[in-house]
Amino acid sequence: MRFYEVPDTLYAEQDQFDRDIKEYVEGRINPVKFKAIRVAHGVYEQRQEHTYMVRIRCAAGGITPTQLKKVSEVGDVYGSGEVHFTTRQEVQVHDVLVNGVIKVIRGLNDVGLSSRGGGGNTVRNILTSIDSGISSTEVFDVEPYAIALTTRMIDEPDSWNLPRKLKISMSNGPDDTTYTQSTCLGFVATVKDGVKGFQVFCSGGMGAKPMVGHALLDFVPDTHVYHVTKALKVMFDKNGNRRSKYSSRIKFLWKKVGEDEFKRIFHEEYDQIKNDRSLDLVLESIDNSAKSTDLAVQSVDTAEFELWKKRYVTAQKQEGLSSIKIPLELGDVLRADANSLCDFLLNFGENTMRCERDQNIRLRNIPTEYLGNAYNVITGLKKSLVKHAPFIGNMINCTGASTCKLGICLPRGLSSAIRDQLTGTDLDLDIIPDFRLNMSGCPNTCGMHHVANLGFFGKVGRKDGDMYPAYNILAGGKVEKAGEMKYAQRVDEIASHRIPEFVNAFLKVWIEKKKAGTYADYNTFLEEEGNTLIKTLCDSYRDVPTYEADAGFYTDFGAKRRLSMDELGTAECSAGMFDMIEVDKKQIKKARKVLDAGSDEERPDAIQKILFSASRMLLVTRGLDAKTDEQVYDLFGKHFMTAGLIDEKFRPLLALGKAADVSAIFAQEPAVLALTSEVEALYKNMDDSLRFKATDGKVIKEREGYELDSEVEAEPVAKTIQMFEKDYRGVGCPMNFVKTKLVLETMESGDQLKILLDDGEPIKNVPGSVKLEGHAVLLQEQVGPHWEVLIQKK
Amino acid sequence: MTLTEAQVERYSRHILLQDVGGEGQEKILNAKVLVIGAGGLGSPIALYLAAAGVGTIGIIDGDVVDVSNLQRQVIHFTPDVGVPKVESAKNKIQEINPDVNVVTYQDIVHSKNILDVIKDYDFVVDGTDNFAAKFLINDACVIAGKPYSHGGILRFDGQTMTHVPGEACYRCVFKQPPPANAVPTCSQAGVLGAVAGMLGTIQAAEVLKYIIGVGDLLVNRLLIFDAKSMKFRTSNFKKNPNCPVCGENPTVTELVDGEQAVCDLKV
Repeated sequence: MRFYEVPDTLYAEQDQFDRDIKEYVEGRINPVKFKAIRVAHGVYEQRQEHTYMVRIRCAAGGITPTQLKKVSEVGDVYGSGEVHFTTRQEVQVHDVLVNGVIKVIRGLNDVGLSSRGGGGNTVRNILTSIDSGISSTEVFDVEPYAIALTTRMIDEPDSWNLPRKLKISMSNGPDDTTYTQSTCLGFVATVKDGVKGFQVFCSGGMGAKPMVGHALLDFVPDTHVYHVTKALKVMFDKNGNRRSKYSSRIKFLWKKVGEDEFKRIFHEEYDQIKNDRSLDLVLESIDNSAKSTDLAVQSVDTAEFELWKKRYVTAQKQEGLSSIKIPLELGDVLRADANSLCDFLLNFGENTMRCERDQNIRLRNIPTEYLGNAYNVITGLKKSLVKHAPFIGNMINCTGASTCKLGICLPRGLSSAIRDQLTGTDLDLDIIPDFRLNMSGCPNTCGMHHVANLGFFGKVGRKDGDMYPAYNILAGGKVEKAGEMKYAQRVDEIASHRIPEFVNAFLKVWIEKKKAGTYADYNTFLEEEGNTLIKTLCDSYRDVPTYEADAGFYTDFGAKRRLSMDELGTAECSAGMFDMIEVDKKQIKKARKVLDAGSDEERPDAIQKILFSASRMLLVTRGLDAKTDEQVYDLFGKHFMTAGLIDEKFRPLLALGKAADVSAIFAQEPAVLALTSEVEALYKNMDDSLRFKATDGKVIKEREGYELDSEVEAEPVAKTIQMFEKDYRGVGCPMNFVKTKLVLETMESGDQLKILLDDGEPIKNVPGSVKLEGHAVLLQEQVGPHWEVLIQKK
Repeated sequence: MTLTEAQVERYSRHILLQDVGGEGQEKILNAKVLVIGAGGLGSPIALYLAAAGVGTIGIIDGDVVDVSNLQRQVIHFTPDVGVPKVESAKNKIQEINPDVNVVTYQDIVHSKNILDVIKDYDFVVDGTDNFAAKFLINDACVIAGKPYSHGGILRFDGQTMTHVPGEACYRCVFKQPPPANAVPTCSQAGVLGAVAGMLGTIQAAEVLKYIIGVGDLLVNRLLIFDAKSMKFRTSNFKKNPNCPVCGENPTVTELVDGEQAVCDLKV
């Protein structure tokens, strides 16, 4: 059994990837280009250079015991020895060295798994409700659609080169367990006038700029899933913002053009193909049954077993079968654990397991008489949280700064610290089994903090210039009903090391109120008293010790060293960056208040602080991190004044700042305030690519002859893409390719060429040949009897 | 320069190559190559370069076609017996490819004319049949800073190397011509006609690689093959600092004509 079919072209792509890796290792491909290649193969570099994570697609969260055994084998041989279950219902292998990457990928071929499209600007893993096909209350099983759609999508070349990733999820009923409004394209199973179909949402997304998705179509028959997806993909490809990766998801397109125009351009594509029944997905229903086995039944008769059944076992709609949740410690499975679990599952067949979105495993199709056996196997796993209440295993955390280049904080460490705190108390966590406590290490939403009941995302705290790990607190995410999603709102912020106590104190109140039935639901509790409680608790934890008094406070849970921004990926540091700018903006604001209302003695100090923060505020946008106060002024002078971004007339202030001559700085109060206004104006007009613009919208160019330090990456130059078009209908092979190639030679890198080709040999051969030469085929589409192929020059 | 429709069609199998493309083909069309000798080696060299579209091909040879040439000198046909070889070669080239501009010199290369002849070309190919000429071509190319391909055949054997300025030359390996009669001439020893074709096409491939700037040339390497066992091997060698022509203190500073007997059989 397989959950999707890998296209034949994949093997040639792997051969090419193998060669690319070799060239990269030999220094013939630069890291930036290599990144673009490897990410599309689901290979991410971890924080440690030349160490990689490989993300493996599991359509509908499906993975067979045979497949999991293979993944844990390659993970053990080439990686860290653990398989990680993710919030995208797929699995990852971590700590793979560069030379092991291709071996992992080829190893997966044996069991029909692929990492292609695990990352990058592609159609990502398609999610489905964890109980799809086995729930007694579902509208219908959506897994067959997700699987057929995956197979179709990964076979289409235009799925690999979108403006940004495209995420799809499918819920089996109105309780919307896949959060369709938080994703690019979401399908909710429904029945209208006796016809099976879907309500379709789109343009949702979390990330640093979360947006709730909108209703795109009230109802489409279930035969139209492919057509909707294809149309959205094509319109995204044509209209998405490729220039800025920070505003390129489809949610930004909706925001930019508005609902009416978005729907119009969607229908432009959709109406063309919606009646083409040859495009319908070929669905194969999933057989949820158990293979008969002669395995001896083990009966267990203990109170623990009964508690476990209550906590983790659910009856399926299939008579006599059960579904079992296995709570994993931080989403990780050891090879030995995978082997013992999978060997047990194979007694009942391959269709016995799914990856669950809360980083756990969900078993299915286990005959109820074998629950004792299952209990014995699961409690024998070395790394599981089965002894704890479900709350503990349901906590979600991203991998954070231990492996991720973007991470600020370490939610894995925090998660363990919270677990230790809570399990050491007498809190009755079984009262709140479904509570969503979600954590991310940075404003990106891998830990799904936007949909949390109580969420955290990492930020930088500062005390006297020293950085300490901290988190923003959010609360009130609402996901229980399709079409009524609400994201959690930020309430306050707190130092990392205060969170375990905070969570304990907060949950204590909520559990009491829930037991007492004081409120209709959690969100009412929040509105009535919970949000105030969060703030009150935060106030009581607001006190931050100095670095000298408590150095441990400045080192995150599970971190080896104190918090530092040095290792943040330069190209991807926007998340942490805005936080750091915010620190200085606040300091300026605070000091201005002192000027307005404070005493005369306080004024000189306030002016000095303003000068310091104004000088430091934007250094981070140039990838600079001053090690000392003096360096702040030196770097600001060089990168902002010499560069021509800030008027030279302010330069004398820098010497005063460096000398920390408070009275001399105070004497220059008007100049300091004028400089600060200039810095603020510069920041206000900074665009998403970190370029500064004048008030007329023109980019301010840095002065000629001024050179950026070599460690600072050059900014992407926004270049106008030229479009070319050629008609090669009636031109046979290989002359059609010869001509295509000659036109490409005359074009600049990044320019696009649209060619028209005949059906048959031409469309079979030309796009492949173009790709072999390293160009990107952005789109290939049949238009009447011929084909349109859009090529981007390498 | 833009390729015409007819050229795109004619050279499509070159353009298809990832390493050639339209740009590589244009380089070929703009190239000027001199072939010295229109005999056993010169025939396949000139034919393949012409077919490939080399813009200007110069051919220098003082002989007329003899019936005994036809066993291996495939650019000449039976009716050409008695016709100057450069004339015969030019006619065939133009029949293969009218794009090619053919420049002929009905003469042998010697110390007085060689520098003047090679100066207009991007690349020189040695298709001669005697050591005196081979050393003369090497010395002239080193002095004039021209890249060239050396080739030699005897019986079932062939050898070739490519020289580019600054790298090892023929004299780095073979210091001076062997004494007269130490090496059998082709009339005494004979040569398999196809061996001339094998080596000549290898040389032609080196020329084209040089023009388009692709791959690894036979620079600082000598390729030797024995067609009888059909074994090929390459020996690496280095630029010799004591080389009489390209070394640090060269002793060959001007060109002289050697006294090596010309091979009676005419390779």
